Amino acid sequence: MSADLSVRIGELVLPNPVGVASGTFGYGSEYEALVELGSLGALYTKAITLEPRPGNDVPRIVETPSGLLNSIGLANPGVEAFLTDKLPALLAYPCPVIVNVAGATEAEYLAVLQRIEATLGPQASGHPDGPGIVGYEVNVSCPNVKHGGLAFGTDPAQVERLTSSLRAVTKRCLIVKLTPNVADIGSIARAAEAGGADAVSCINTLVGMAIDVGQRRPRLATVTGGLSGPAILPVGVACVYKASRAVGIPVIGLGGIMGPEDALQYLLAGASAVQVGTGTFVDPTTPARVLAGIGSWMEANSVMRVADIRGMLR
Amino acid sequence: MKQFEAEIISNRAVAPGWKELVLSWDKGAGQPEPGQFLSLRVSPRSDPLLRRPFAFSGMSEDGGRVSAIYQVRGPATSILAELAPGSAIDAIGPLGRGFPRPGPGELAILAAGGIGLGPVLFLAKSLAASTLVLGFREASALPRLDLPQGCVTCTDDGSSGFRGKPSEWISRNVPSGLVRLYGCGPAPMLAALAGLAAERSWASSLSAEQWMACGVGACMGCALRRSDGAGYLRACSDGPVFSADAGRPSPVDWNPRRPT
Ligand SMILES: Cc1cc2nc3c(=O)[nH]c(=O)nc-3n(C[C@H](O)[C@H](O)[C@H](O)COP(=O)(O)OP(=O)(O)OC[C@H]3O[C@@H](n4cnc5c(N)ncnc54)[C@H](O)[C@@H]3O)c2cc1C
Ligand SMILES: Cc1cc2nc3c(=O)[nH]c(=O)nc-3n(C[C@H](O)[C@H](O)[C@H](O)COP(=O)(O)O)c2cc1C
Ligand code: FES
Repeated sequence: MSADLSVRIGELVLPNPVGVASGTFGYGSEYEALVELGSLGALYTKAITLEPRPGNDVPRIVETPSGLLNSIGLANPGVEAFLTDKLPALLAYPCPVIVNVAGATEAEYLAVLQRIEATLGPQASGHPDGPGIVGYEVNVSCPNVKHGGLAFGTDPAQVERLTSSLRAVTKRCLIVKLTPNVADIGSIARAAEAGGADAVSCINTLVGMAIDVGQRRPRLATVTGGLSGPAILPVGVACVYKASRAVGIPVIGLGGIMGPEDALQYLLAGASAVQVGTGTFVDPTTPARVLAGIGSWMEANSVMRVADIRGMLR
Repeated sequence: MKQFEAEIISNRAVAPGWKELVLSWDKGAGQPEPGQFLSLRVSPRSDPLLRRPFAFSGMSEDGGRVSAIYQVRGPATSILAELAPGSAIDAIGPLGRGFPRPGPGELAILAAGGIGLGPVLFLAKSLAASTLVLGFREASALPRLDLPQGCVTCTDDGSSGFRGKPSEWISRNVPSGLVRLYGCGPAPMLAALAGLAAERSWASSLSAEQWMACGVGACMGCALRRSDGAGYLRACSDGPVFSADAGRPSPVDWNPRRPT
């Protein structure tokens, strides 16, 4: 019998545990020629805000040891252009799509969600397990804009309030994306759970800085940025370990996944699913390789369901 | 566009610190055009991490091989320089939007600065007629390549050819008229070419450089400032070549602005 790769998050069933992370996969079309969309467990879109955002000044990216430091600044066309220009293609993709939402205020997050809900209709397109917009990932963790949510994401009371007000306007899967830039990620995860989230995902990028010594200038126009890639893998694994022990809802793990071993670390640490971000930039076959490797590992270890891996850490 | 394992056919030094890479090309990926680029993962290790973009400098007649001329600058190009013929390399391409053909009656003037040479050479080979103006630091930096007959070389110190920059040669020697000015090179050169084209009411098609993460338009990392102030364009997928025509200014701002 072949292993069961599906993942349950609240009411939602994802076909497999390997998704592609917000901000690293555009709106899907950019990678369509290189990545088989039908093999993705979920596609998380670039963050959508109420108004269009041009993004931060340039340069926005610099490579650091085994890492990528970025300060994109939530560049996105805004919810209206998203609905007219991006949504039709997203609805036609053969994989579940989760819309990443960001805002400067609670009202802004709420308005984005309400606007998308009004367009989609209340039900998760009749077949909650199939393709279509199946949920939202609430970005309360972007380090790159003054009002990118990080102010929310570091305060449990605000996370709970924001989550419960978003919960009130959607029945779709609601995932709160956590920042590692906090002292106690468990308390933030508990706040999201208390607010009614179906899952939490972690981690977003870590605040980092790189300096050009010759020029004596910061390498990024915004001075600091968000660190991603293999350099942050152990931080992410530890965050998932802590968050998954703090809450009963599923935890989705990400940060630095480049291959199946990395993803299996997250699953063993307590994650129910994973996302690949920077790993797709480096090699667009990463999500497929990760999925295949998880399957082989399950077979070699006689594990029947992905969900069982969580309990296997010695 | 396709990701595939290319075979390194040759990887030879062509000038101090410069090499020419010849790769097998998977025709299923599509035929590269001058100004387009490919991204290479030079090593399976995580440091250096990101793929690196390189412009095509040519293609074999049967389309089965492509080339790029590169400068050894940092970790990725140092690793690339050591790769031996016969080894495989992870390639994605062709990427980006290349140079448009000259319009009816337009005289093609091509300018390259330093390692910007590759895409401009490819363009020259694809055009029936053009004036090619190449800029180098000094005579010893001139590459051992089959440069088209009649091309103009410029050196900063006058040790070979015209003393000065390609933009200066063009400004002195190209009469006003219907011209499309093509160029690739360092940012100050692009700014000079854009300024010259605007002054003479020439059309221009210039290739920009910016740090890239994905190379396919997904990450918004390779942003370039728009000339109308309304945000940014992506070097990798809106460009890297951006054109200005009569009555239509360049969509990107070519003036290098220092971060404050
Ligand atoms: C569309 C495009 C086409 C290119 N075509 C060529 C080509 O044909 N031949 C060639 O030699 N190089 C080309 N480059 C630049 C090439 O990608 C870099 O030289 C290479 O990535 C350097 O990698 P590295 O690890 O060796 O050095 P790094 O340590 O990454 O860089 C060394 C130095 O090079 C400069 N640099 C590196 N990458 C960039 C960049 N993307 N934009 C601006 N400055 C940069 C910086 O000053 C940096 O400090 C191109 C870049 C782009 C965006
Ligand atoms: C270029 C870039 C853009 C990103 N944009 C977003 C975003 O819009 N919303 C979000 O929640 N996370 C964003 N992230 C964070 C990633 O989704 C992910 O949490 C982080 O990069 C860690 O995973 P990785 O190491 O696999 O990339 C972005 C990351 C990168 C590198
Ligand atoms: S490099 Fe990612 S959008 Fe251009």
